Amino acid sequence: MIPATETAPVPARNGPQGEISGKAGALNTQKLDEMQQELGPSFLNVIERFQAGLLTRPEKIRQAILANDSDQVAVESHSLKSVCRQIGLYRMGEMAATLESIGYSGQLEGANLLVEQLMQAGRSAHHELAKYCR
Amino acid sequence: MAHIMVVDDDELIRVFLASLLRHVGYSVTEAENGQTCLQKIKTCAVDLVITDIFMPEMDGFYLLTELHRASPDSRMIAISGGYKSVTSQLTLQMAKAFGAIDTIAKPFKTAMVIQQVAKALQMANNQTEPGEAS
Repeated sequence: MIPATETAPVPARNGPQGEISGKAGALNTQKLDEMQQELGPSFLNVIERFQAGLLTRPEKIRQAILANDSDQVAVESHSLKSVCRQIGLYRMGEMAATLESIGYSGQLEGANLLVEQLMQAGRSAHHELAKYCR
Repeated sequence: MAHIMVVDDDELIRVFLASLLRHVGYSVTEAENGQTCLQKIKTCAVDLVITDIFMPEMDGFYLLTELHRASPDSRMIAISGGYKSVTSQLTLQMAKAFGAIDTIAKPFKTAMVIQQVAKALQMANNQTEPGEAS
């Protein structure tokens, strides 16, 4: 058996963890507040990197889809999924997970629409995160 | 001050983890894959290695094996979110077989990481003869 390692739970859509219902790019403010406390002065540096990644990583997925490179779609989506889940963007993480599965399947039909939604969510989250960078 | 090597190919996760550990008071060196970790370890001794498993160039399984071969007392914690159809649970179970003393599933809870790191370092100290502690 693996020793107890705790995984952050996916909150309910109207969950108690500060996530706003209905918006994939909505921030989990409680999670971010915790990060701010845990990282101290490094928080700004970390969050700015995350913020940039919310624009660049979906774009990389889009580029991979355009190139019909399903392996790369899976790799980039896996990476984005991991980051989103870590900072509490659970629904964006779910979208990335779906794209990851699509990438592994090798059938990219439908990926275009999903990546556009993902990019929109990323822009929204990027905008919201700017409040933490002031 | 204990020195920890954080190995992860995902810059965002690596920087987040490293920043967290630095804020707690540890000295941290970062590496983007197993190969870089082994190179850096030649010139700086570390008390603990925290490594991702699925990475390009040299993955975590190989790194765990190499570190264990070089020094059977090496303290290593494996971290993973799984990959493709391989779950994080299975990946981390395998990592223990490769010599990891503890495991962390992604997404991780920061408090849990800090607790596990402290425990791993404590185990290392307990195994160090009096007078040998750094």
